[in-house]
Amino acid sequence: MSYAVLACNGVDKVEGALAREVGLRVAEATGGDLVCPVLLNRSPTHYEKTLTEDALIVVDGCGTRCASKLATEAGAKPKQKVLVSKLAKASAVQLEASLLLGPEEMAFAESIVAEIVAALSAAAAPAAPAVAWDAPTDFLVVVFNKFEFRIPRQGYWFSENDTWARVMGDRARVGISDYLQQQLTDIVYFDPPEVGAPVEQFGVLGEVESSKAIFELIAPVSGTVVAVNEAVVAESPGLINEDPYGSGWLVEVELSAWAEDRELLLDGPAYADTLGPKAATY
Amino acid sequence: MDSEADKSPVLVIPCSGIGKVQGLLSREATYLVTDKLAPEGTDTLCLALLVKGDVDAVAQVQTHKCITIDGCAKACAEKNVEMAGGHVGEAVQVAAVLKGYRGTQPGTGAVLTIDGWPVAQDIAERVALCAAHLQSGEEVAS
Repeated sequence: MSYAVLACNGVDKVEGALAREVGLRVAEATGGDLVCPVLLNRSPTHYEKTLTEDALIVVDGCGTRCASKLATEAGAKPKQKVLVSKLAKASAVQLEASLLLGPEEMAFAESIVAEIVAALSAAAAPAAPAVAWDAPTDFLVVVFNKFEFRIPRQGYWFSENDTWARVMGDRARVGISDYLQQQLTDIVYFDPPEVGAPVEQFGVLGEVESSKAIFELIAPVSGTVVAVNEAVVAESPGLINEDPYGSGWLVEVELSAWAEDRELLLDGPAYADTLGPKAATY
Repeated sequence: MDSEADKSPVLVIPCSGIGKVQGLLSREATYLVTDKLAPEGTDTLCLALLVKGDVDAVAQVQTHKCITIDGCAKACAEKNVEMAGGHVGEAVQVAAVLKGYRGTQPGTGAVLTIDGWPVAQDIAERVALCAAHLQSGEEVAS
C-alpha cells in the first residue's frame, strides 16, 4: 500500500512544528508522498491522483485541525489521523513554548511516528478470527416523512445519545444507531479510544466525524476497551453508514458493571419510542 | 491600516511548502528573523490557519504589514495573504534567491546542509531589512 502524508505544518506553535516533524518522519518511514496543506487548498487538482490512490495520513498540530479540515474539503478520506496536542496531553508531555524543537520534543515526535507506523502495520496484518457476533435480522422500522430508521428488535441496548451496546458474555460491542448515522450523513473518520483505556457509562469513547458534524461517541456501558473496529478506523468509515448494527460497530468493551449499566439503557422498542420527537427536528 | 498598526510587528509569513528544500528554507529563514535578527519588530503567522479563514489570523494580516516568503513561483503565501485582505509589503521567493547560489546543495525537505544555512541567513537578512524599512514607514524597493 502506498501512503500520502498531510501535516498541518503550522509555523507559529510548537504543536505545528511537531506535526511537521512527525509528517516528515512518517513520510520517510512509509515511503509516502508529502502533501502541502496550503497547496492542497490552492490547487486541489495537484494532489488529485495522490489522494485517490494513496492511503492518507493526516497530522494536525493544534485543536484547530487545519489539516483535517483541508482533507475533508478536498474530499479525502484519511486512513489515519493524529492530533499532536491531544497525544501530548494524553502522554503528559509538557511542550516547550519555543518553536525550535529540543531533544524531548524530537523524542516525542519519534514516539508518535512509531505509533503511527505500528498502527499501519497492524491494519495491514491479516485479521484475527472473528468472534461470533450474530447479526440482527429482525428490525423495527420508524418512519418519519421520507426517512426510515431501523432498530434491532432484540439484543441491542440503546442510550438516549443514540449509541448502542450488543452484549455477549462479558463483552459488549458498541456503535451508533441507524437514526444517528443518517443524521450525521457521510461519515469520514472514526477517532477511536486507546485499547486498554477504562471507560465509564456515558463517558466518551472516541469521536465520529462526518462531512456535517463531529459527534462524541457516548459509551452506553462501562468497562475497559479491548478492541476497536480497525476496518472502520483504517479502511472504511463508511461502514458505519452502510451497516451501523453490524460491520459498522466501533468499539468492544469488557464489561465491568453491566447489571447496573443496563438499568439506564433502553431496549429496541423503548428506543423506537424516543425517535418520534427526535425525528421531528431531523 | 492605521498609524498605530504601523508600529506593530511586521508579520513574516512563510509558505507551507513541506518536503522541498525551498519550503524548508522559507521556514528556517522566518525563524531566523523572528527569533534572532528582529525578534522585537517581527512575528509570524501560520499560513494554514489563514487559509482556513481563522478570524484572528485574517484580522492580523489586515492590521499588520506583511512580508511573505514563498518557496516556489506558486507563491501560496503571497497570494493567500492578499486574498485575506492583507498588505504584502515585500514578497520574497526562495527560488529566485537560489539563483544566486548556483551549484550549492542547500539540503532536502527535512534538513539544511552546511551550505543551506547561509542561504537561509541571506534570506533572513533581506527580510529583516525589509521589516525595518516597513516599520519605519518606508516603502521597500523591489
